[in-house]
Amino acid sequence: MSGQVDDAILVEAAQDGDLAAFEAIVRRHQAAVYRVAVRMLDSRADAQDVTQETFVRAWRSLGSFRRHSAVSTWLYRIVTRRCLDLIAKRRPTEELNRLEPQPAGRDLAETAEQREQLRAVTRAIGTLPAEQRAALVLREFEGLSYQELVDVLDTSLPAIKGRIHRARLAVLEQTVAWR
Amino acid sequence: MNAYDKQLPCGTELATLLEQVADDQRAPNPAHQDNCPYCQTALRRLRQDWVHVQSLAQEPVPIPEGLTAKIMARVHTLAGHLADSILLGHPRGETRIGHTVVSRVIQRLAATTPDVAFASVKLGPQDPQQPRRLSVTIRLIVTFGPAIERIADAVRNILNRRVPTLTGAELDRIDITINDITEPPD
Repeated sequence: MSGQVDDAILVEAAQDGDLAAFEAIVRRHQAAVYRVAVRMLDSRADAQDVTQETFVRAWRSLGSFRRHSAVSTWLYRIVTRRCLDLIAKRRPTEELNRLEPQPAGRDLAETAEQREQLRAVTRAIGTLPAEQRAALVLREFEGLSYQELVDVLDTSLPAIKGRIHRARLAVLEQTVAWR
Repeated sequence: MNAYDKQLPCGTELATLLEQVADDQRAPNPAHQDNCPYCQTALRRLRQDWVHVQSLAQEPVPIPEGLTAKIMARVHTLAGHLADSILLGHPRGETRIGHTVVSRVIQRLAATTPDVAFASVKLGPQDPQQPRRLSVTIRLIVTFGPAIERIADAVRNILNRRVPTLTGAELDRIDITINDITEPPD
């Protein structure tokens, strides 16, 4: 039904109460939403909950969706806020306990050394302050531009650049031994 | 002091080179960088180190099975559609068919009508005195070429013929809006 249909059309239909149109939005964007949640929370169970909450919130706030903005940006904003809220509620020990590495991908991490490197990156991301983590995940894993990050994280461009810069430094510091 | 805050002997900040690598930017001073052994060594090392972040970014993150269904179950509950249904009387009981089901049937029939690229359905309010009867508003995106009015008529004909058979609902009124046209598929 939604192969070539613009997000704007689907949103308009969903605003009229068309659940099939909203389901098409869910199918189109759930992978990105879930991916952000997994990378930010480092817990697939929490990520699944947050993904559900993100779309429930999106459904509730369809009426206030600004049609000139992108659906992806809107959903990134919601999921990031949900993740930041959840991280803020976690106790420090709980945060640390969640730093178990994810299973390696099927093709990309074939050797133990590669797997360990990916685990090290995952662990390093998990230790970043939440706002740095959000900026880094959206930039490096979702490929958002700096300007898109300004929209999603609702802050200034210099602040975004500063967060990403500090996050990159911290991740490298923790994952490699610079000689 | 972070190791990446270091300055190379040539005066270049490592952090600047990191930005260049991570953002895949062009060198701000290529004349210097191309001929500087310090910059070349540092860039080579940074690329080796940063590739692990890029590898992680390329790792697939499979969606949990049934995620869409879980999301939509919550949305359906919120939308209250589960409570709305048409009532089919029967001497030994009653059969209710949810508006969601009727909407899906209508949407599917409309969307599979020739020259329809997209269909969205909104059911009108139900008259409690006539629990089988419904009005429906349909938005369509149609392919460019055939007469648009004929496409709309075809949708009406299919709905009038098949919706009562499939669901028991009778469509009192079918309003159709053509929202856009699209190129025919190759």
